Amino acid sequence: MSLFEEMQQAIIDGKAPVVKELTQKALSEGIKPADIFPKAIVPAMDEVGRRMRDCEFFIPEVLIAARAARAATDILRPLLVGDAAARPAGTVVCCTVKGDLHDIGKNIVAMMLESAGFRIIDLGADVSAEKIVDAVRAHDANLVAMSALLTTTMVNMKSVIEALAAAGLREKVKVMVGGAPVTESWARSIGADGYGKDAPAAVDLARSLAAA
Amino acid sequence: MTSRERVQMALEHKDPDRVPLDLGASSVTGMQVDTVYQLRQALQLDPPGTPVKVTEPYQMLGEIKPDLMGALGVDVVGLGKPATMFGFKNEGWKPWTTFEGTPVLVPEGFNIEPDANGDILMYPEGDKSVPPSGRMPKGGFYFDSIVRQPPIDENTLSVEDNLEEFGPVADDDLEYFRREAERLYTQTDKAILANFGGTAFGDIALVPAPWLKHPKGIRDIEEWYISTVTRRDHVYKIFERQCEIGIRNLEKVFAAVGNRVTAVFVSGTDFGQQNGPFISLKSYRDLFKPFHREVNNWIHKNTQWKCFIHSCGSVRALLPDFVDAGFDIINPVQCSAAGMAPEELKKEFGDRATFWGGGVDTQRTLPFGTPEEVRQEVCTRLKIFGKSGGYVFNTTHNVQARVPAQNVLAMYKAVRECGKYPL
Repeated sequence: MSLFEEMQQAIIDGKAPVVKELTQKALSEGIKPADIFPKAIVPAMDEVGRRMRDCEFFIPEVLIAARAARAATDILRPLLVGDAAARPAGTVVCCTVKGDLHDIGKNIVAMMLESAGFRIIDLGADVSAEKIVDAVRAHDANLVAMSALLTTTMVNMKSVIEALAAAGLREKVKVMVGGAPVTESWARSIGADGYGKDAPAAVDLARSLAAA
Repeated sequence: MTSRERVQMALEHKDPDRVPLDLGASSVTGMQVDTVYQLRQALQLDPPGTPVKVTEPYQMLGEIKPDLMGALGVDVVGLGKPATMFGFKNEGWKPWTTFEGTPVLVPEGFNIEPDANGDILMYPEGDKSVPPSGRMPKGGFYFDSIVRQPPIDENTLSVEDNLEEFGPVADDDLEYFRREAERLYTQTDKAILANFGGTAFGDIALVPAPWLKHPKGIRDIEEWYISTVTRRDHVYKIFERQCEIGIRNLEKVFAAVGNRVTAVFVSGTDFGQQNGPFISLKSYRDLFKPFHREVNNWIHKNTQWKCFIHSCGSVRALLPDFVDAGFDIINPVQCSAAGMAPEELKKEFGDRATFWGGGVDTQRTLPFGTPEEVRQEVCTRLKIFGKSGGYVFNTTHNVQARVPAQNVLAMYKAVRECGKYPL
């Protein structure tokens, strides 16, 4: 088994300490940090996504794998700062919208997007439209991913899209939304570019929006 | 026919005179306080500005008083623990105003502090000398737990750490249950849905324990979910001990309240997401089902109570096992989730389980639909779920904030008009 294959297996099996060790080993062997994403992390998390879609993996297994992937991305992230080519997929500003503190779903999506090769600017939960606009501008993002768990806060997604338009950024970024009460038709009605029904769907969506 | 008889008949899968109605008998079948206020005003039960009591401060549920029950035809009353999710009791009421501007009354233990960003912080037992355990975002409607996760040392992690909240039932609480059951049974004609606590295994809303001042063990939500796999034996031992304690408590509680109680809230653990279960069927069978079965078996062997399980989301894959584990009542019946179509659920489980909820979609139709859309959905659901009894009307989980009063009125009008047997 190659080093990359070993890493993939360790991520899928959720063995964070092994992933950490193998990442360090890869770097010490002179493998470029930017190569570790497409050769180890991305295929591993694609497999995790497939298993989730096929009901082989559930939330605990996905969290465990994502945590293992994070053992690698935590080491690689600082090494990739300023290297835009290392993250060809693009930059995603993600958050839970204003008034909403629920971040488990958003965190899973953020971890899976990062493992899919996106640069993630995670603004956390209860985030205002203004902060999202500022982050898009500051980090030159091409995607915004928003989550809401409540019927009382999902309406704030619309305000974010309006704020991006008012700031002249709407043409520059694609907007994707998700969260328990959010639906495809809701996404369309507020002018979002897409809806992810779960984390693997969000990764597929982000890839297609970034490629569009 | 009394309300109690109506609910009893429905639970026995017989047609009563009309579909029984629950509003507010549990913390998952209630209504957010701003909405209760709007409803009371719309029904002209109070002069404008009359405050509504917040009976459940975590989700900010409003009191469903007898006059409102009478106006709507509610058939069930709740019997819960005297302490709230934040550990203080519902007593010593004082005025407060929600972010929405609604005048409310909150218990004296509802001691809050503004955070620097305008959020509201809440304290366990109202004690501001310890770190806060709840946060309501500025402009928000509900509290969420502030996770207080002490560092986890695998070598010293003890089962006892996650059992602090599962001790023997206090004599004061037993006396409260006895007195309240007696009062509700003799002074109302309603069925009693009781929640004595302690029998929900791994309920993620309870894991952070916002009522405890210094929770120990595994309290972080992500860490808990992960632990159900990585520390599976540890979690199993927690459940095993919790189950022993829970059954000993049920013995004492039953001695106090007897069969005045119609149904008991056994589990509120959420097993479903929008598109499927949180955990595999195998995990449910290995880790949860043995304890559900043990609790339900004890109840069925020793009491006439019916066993109630609440789980949001898509739980179609787990429903046969819920029924097999001895649950009689399924709530909140989230029909919008994958595989939860009302016709299929009724066809597959209708002869074995009572559906309690699912009356209208609280994520879409009730907050965002028109009154006519609400009416149509309610009447359709009553017809499907109400066939041959086995149905208690309730919304899919609590009625949330910012729901138009016209929609709430349309819902209860439809329940009155479409809920009469023959349906």
